[in-house]
Order: sequence, then structure tokens, then C-alpha cells
Amino acid sequence: MTGRVPGLLVAALGSAFGVALLQISGALTATAEADPDVGASATVGTLLTALALVFMAIAVYVGAIVTVNTVATVVAGRARRIALLRLLGSSAVAQRRAIAREGLITGAVGALLGAVLGTLAARGIVEVGVALGWLPRPAYGWASPALAVPVVAVVLTTWLSSWLGSRRVLTVTPLQALGSSEQLSAEEVRARPVRNATAVVLAVLGTAVLLLGVGVGLVSPLGVLIGVLGGILSFSGLVMGAHLVMPPALALVGRLLGRGAAGRLAAANARRHPERSSRTTIGLVIGVTLVTMFGVAIESFRRMVEAAQAAQPDVYQGIGPMLDATTAVFSVLVGFSALIAGVGLVNSLSLSVLQRTRELGLLRAVGFSRSQLSRMVLAESAQLTITGVLVGLLLGGFYGWCGAQALLGSAPGVGTLIPPGIPWTVLAVVVVVAAVLTVVAAAAPARRAARLSPVAALGVE
Amino acid sequence: MSDTASPPSPALVARVEDLGKSYGTSSTRVDALRGVTLGLRRGEFTAIMGPSGSGKSTLMHIMAGLDSPSSGRVWLAEQEIGGMTDAELTLLRRRRIGFVFQSFNLVPTLDIEGNLLLPFELDGRRPDPEERAWIDRLETLLGLGGRLRHRPHELSGGQQQRVAIARALATRPDLVFADEPTGNLDSRTGREVLELLASASREHGQSIAMVTHDPIAAGYADRILFLADGVLVDDRPRLPAAEISSIMLAMEAAA
Ligand SMILES: Nc1ncnc2c1ncn2[C@@H]1O[C@H](COP(=O)(O)OP(=O)(O)OP(=O)(O)O)[C@@H](O)[C@H]1O
Ligand SMILES: [Mg+2]
Repeated sequence: MTGRVPGLLVAALGSAFGVALLQISGALTATAEADPDVGASATVGTLLTALALVFMAIAVYVGAIVTVNTVATVVAGRARRIALLRLLGSSAVAQRRAIAREGLITGAVGALLGAVLGTLAARGIVEVGVALGWLPRPAYGWASPALAVPVVAVVLTTWLSSWLGSRRVLTVTPLQALGSSEQLSAEEVRARPVRNATAVVLAVLGTAVLLLGVGVGLVSPLGVLIGVLGGILSFSGLVMGAHLVMPPALALVGRLLGRGAAGRLAAANARRHPERSSRTTIGLVIGVTLVTMFGVAIESFRRMVEAAQAAQPDVYQGIGPMLDATTAVFSVLVGFSALIAGVGLVNSLSLSVLQRTRELGLLRAVGFSRSQLSRMVLAESAQLTITGVLVGLLLGGFYGWCGAQALLGSAPGVGTLIPPGIPWTVLAVVVVVAAVLTVVAAAAPARRAARLSPVAALGVE
Repeated sequence: MSDTASPPSPALVARVEDLGKSYGTSSTRVDALRGVTLGLRRGEFTAIMGPSGSGKSTLMHIMAGLDSPSSGRVWLAEQEIGGMTDAELTLLRRRRIGFVFQSFNLVPTLDIEGNLLLPFELDGRRPDPEERAWIDRLETLLGLGGRLRHRPHELSGGQQQRVAIARALATRPDLVFADEPTGNLDSRTGREVLELLASASREHGQSIAMVTHDPIAAGYADRILFLADGVLVDDRPRLPAAEISSIMLAMEAAA
């Protein structure tokens, strides 16, 4: 698996998701407009489209992080070949342009493929809805200029992220082709004062605004608007400063992986390229945070409603199933970004194992057994997944509770502080999916590592 | 076959009999080894020399249980390793064999101390006091006192090779294999590495088999085996480098 297949997959997923969302909201709008009760109000359409765009933006953003990472990993693995070409007189910029061009082509092919698949999926979903009698057949043409938005967005972000991810080409010197034995590309986290400062300021300021929202929420539900602003600011700061937050978190989880040689090496491997492991996990963090946040907020809301329902049963009738449906829809929509992040994680791990062939051969020579190598790869995978999921759960729990508190804190009869509702179903699904992801990501590289003949591996350049 | 095999002698730390190894299928067949029979004596520092492509690395890989022969038999000490499973060979490499390759011998994510202790850690144990004392001696010998917490890329090539040798010696294996351990080093650094190997053999009775191209390196050995075209062609006791050089030149001229 080189960088190309996952790159294509990520672009196709992002574009398919965006196109499907727009198609479905288009179909729903058409249905609503045909309904005499709802009438031809523009609000439904605008609202649906706005929602679709938000979820699409999240997916495209996560996709971009994944692409930057894939390209950076591929470039790191090719450092020696790039150095040789540099030695023979090729310029670094020319090399970088070639990589970006490859990204543009991958993005274009993937986005178009995704548009077709997304349309098919949307039609399928609407057909099912019609067949089940949930909605009448919409008078909708399945083609609108808005569909160009996700396609163009995916092409441009794939191109841009290939360019960003290939930054490392510039640091490869021709001398590396003559290179000594050393294969460790010490990818130092260079001091980036501006970026780090921005990240910290955003996180601190955002958290302050978020807490202000919670405070205001005690007297007015409008506190939630302040809270949303604070949430967006602080979370952006966190994503920006992922390279500061994730490595310590990875180290912490790494300690749990046991002290055997396999576990210790796995822990060291996940921290070997802090920048890359941060990017590998942050996509997962984004997905899990959002899923958990909606889950906790809605569950807290449900608790409050249930308390109120005891007093006035008829007012709140039928709200339970509606909340369930809302949770499910939001989880799926946000979960899609987590899926893209999962593709990135699988790819990242396979590439890094592929690039360590030589090292794996050495480990076999000094006495690692096949199962110790497999265990090492599995532990690496577990470390990445568990860290991403744990951080996401904590953040999501916090944001979700803040949101619920800011929105509902002023409701009569609630009391000052709402205990956070724990969405057990959502949590269970997140944990199961994380476990599956761990195993899936590790399966192919672990098998490869175990099958490796030490002599052949040691012969690899 | 087995009836002609002489029983392994306790004086031999490793032995091969009528060893053959070929690669590829009939049309593209390469015979890397063609009926090699030899024994390495316990406590000796043996050099294996020969022109490029003569089968030195192949021989070493098979004797070390890293690769399997096409024909013939292989013993380590009294134990035949021919029919061993992968798991048995893994344990053998971990406990009874040490390795030094031309480059890339150290795990980049572990510091020097971590690399030295890796074979023990793989066994899920800590060195006992006697082993710990031996490792301390090796560390003193390395002269890297303050740098045990450094990682391999922070050391020079020669320092890395010396750490690799110390790692190979740490478990006091039956036999240490070194494939061109000085191949990447300048002559002065190479000398330091060879001194370390020679003193391990001389002072601690460590058996060592070293593949090399370099007559000066082979000059450190107690015994020199010459391989040409997959066949053992000569077996000499300790020789000065100049003489080794002329033997090699004669072999290359004959080829
Ligand atoms: N995996 C392989 N497939 C095919 N042929 C091989 C393979 N490995 C080694 N050979 C061939 O076997 C022969 C012996 O190779 P070997 O590596 O043992 O030589 P060597 O004596 O170590 O050479 P050098 O001094 O150059 O390292 C060579 O002709 C080589 O081309
Ligand atoms: Mg060789």
C-alpha cells in the first residue's frame, strides 16, 4: 500500500459524504416545499444546507489532516531516493511540485468518484425512505450547482495538503544519499513560537469564553451561544497545538502497554515522530469529541426533560424517541469524520511498519519472536487508538456538559448545576469501534512483520 | 548421509557439513555455497575471507540460524540446528548467538543502555548480578561512560559499532557473528572496533566468526578461512596482513 490508494480513498470518502449530504438535504427541501403545511418557506432549505455544509467542512478538514500525514510519511520513507535525485541535480522545489501535482490528480479523481458514489448513496437512502413510507417521492432532479462545492473543496484541500505534507522534501540534503547507517529521521519538533502561542491563546481564551457561557447560562439560555463560540475557539486551539498535547498523552497511555520489550518498543515507536503521531490521532480526537459532545448534551437534556415530564406528562409526550433519533443522526454525521480519521490511522501504521523493514529484520536477528513482533505492532495500534479515543471522550464529555449547562441552566426547576448525562449507548459504540479499529489497523502490518524473513529484511536498503 | 557424519567435537563451537545453498529456480539458479565443510573452534577468533559474491554472508546467515540451507547439516555446539522450528531458532539467536552487521545494528528508538539490555528484555528478565557486572565491564570498555542515555544517532559510526559489539557480547553467547563490522569505518575507528573483538576473544575466550574483505582486519584473527565461489579453498592460522593480502590477490587472479 503506497500513499496513493489511501489518498484516493480519503478524497473519495470526503467528497461522497459532502455530495450525499447536499443531495439528501436537497431532496428533503423539495419534499418540504411540496408539503402544504410547511409551505414554500426558504428556511427549511437554508437550515438543512447550512447543517450539511458544517458536517461537510468537518469531514473535509479531517480528510486534509489525514492527507498531510500520508504525504509526510511517504516523503519520509522516500528520503533516500529524493536525496539521490538531489545528488544527481534535481531541485527540491521541482520534487515538491511533483508530489503536489500527484496530490492534485489524486484529489480530482477521488472527488469525482466520490461525487458519483455519494449521489448513488443519497438516492438509495431516499428510495428506502419512500419505500418505508416516511416521505413522499421528492420532485428533485439530483443535480444542483451546489454539488460542486464539496467536489471543488476536496480537490483543493487534497492539493494543498499534499503541498504542506511535502514540506519535508526541502530538508532532504543530497548528502543523505551517501548516508551512514542511521535510518532514524529525527523529525524534530522545531520551535514554532507563533503557532504555539496562537494555540495556547486560543485554548485559554476559548475556555474562558466557554465558562462565561456556562455562567450566563444560569440566567438565560442565550449563554449557549457564548458557549459555542468559546467551544469553537478552544477546540481550534487544541487542534492547532496537537503536537504539544498528544505526545504526552501517548506517553501516558504507552505506560499502560506493559513493560515487556514489545510494549516498550511500541511505546517508543508511537512517539518517534511526534508530529506524525499527533496528526494520526487528532483526526480521531475530533470525531470522538464531537460524537461524545452531542451524546452527553442530548442525554443531559433528556434527564432534565424526564424530570419535567413527571410534573407535566402530556407536554413532553413523544420527546424521547425524537431525542434518540437526533442522537443517532448526529452521531452518524460526525462519526463519518471519525471514519476518515480511521482510514488515516490504518494507513499511517502500515506505512510506518513498511518503512521499518530493516529494523524489524534486526529485531528478528537479535531474538524477537514472530509473536513478539506482532504484539509490538498491535500495541502500537492500540496506543494510537486508545489515546485518540480517551482524549476525545474527555473533551467531548466536558464540551457536552458545558453545552447542556449553558442551554438549560436557567430552566425553571433545574437547580444550579446539571449533572452530566452519560450516553451509555454512544460510549459503548465508540469503544467497540475503537477496538475494531485497533485490530484492523494492526492486522496487515502485524502479519507482514511476522512473516518477514530476517535475512531478506536486513538486505533492504 | 547421517552415518558418515562424525559426532560433533566439544572443541568445536559450530560446524557445517557438506553445506549447499542455491537461490532461484533451475533457469536462474545461483549456487552460493557448494559443499562447504568446516568447524569453528571454541574460544577462537576466526576470519572468513573471499572475493565478493563468494558466499561469505550466506554461510554466516546459515550458521547463525537466520537462513536455511538447501542441503547439508549445521550444528551449533552439540546441537543440530537444521530441523529447528522458527521459535527454536529465535531462542537460539536470543540466547546463544550474537550479531554485528556492517551497519544499522542498533534499535533507533532505544538508548545505548536499552540496546545493550535488549536480549535480556526479550527473555523477560533482568541480568543477574554476574551478568550485570559483565555488562558494566563492557560499558567501561566502550568508554562511553556518560552517554549511555544517548540514542544511536547521537553517536559516531565507530561508537555505534562498538555498542553493537558490546550488545553481541552481553549475553556471553556461544558464538558471535560479525559481517564486515568495519566495512563502513575509517581505518583508525576500524582498529578500535577490531581491538574490542580481539580482546573479547583473547581475554574472555569468546568465540567469534568475522566476515571481512580487509586483510588488516583479518590480521587480528587466530585463524583465517578462505572461500571462493561457494567452496572452502584455504584454512590458515594467524597471518600478518601482508601475507593475507597476497593470498587474496592470488585468489582474485585465479578467478
Ligand atoms: N537472495 C538472493 N537471491 C539470489 N541470489 C543471491 C541471494 N543472496 C545471495 N545471492 C547470491 O549468492 C552469492 C553469494 O552471496 P553472498 O552475499 O553470500 O556473498 P558475499 O561473499 O557475502 O559477498 P560480499 O563480499 O559482496 O558481501 C552471490 O552470487 C549472490 O549474488
Ligand atoms: Mg556479504
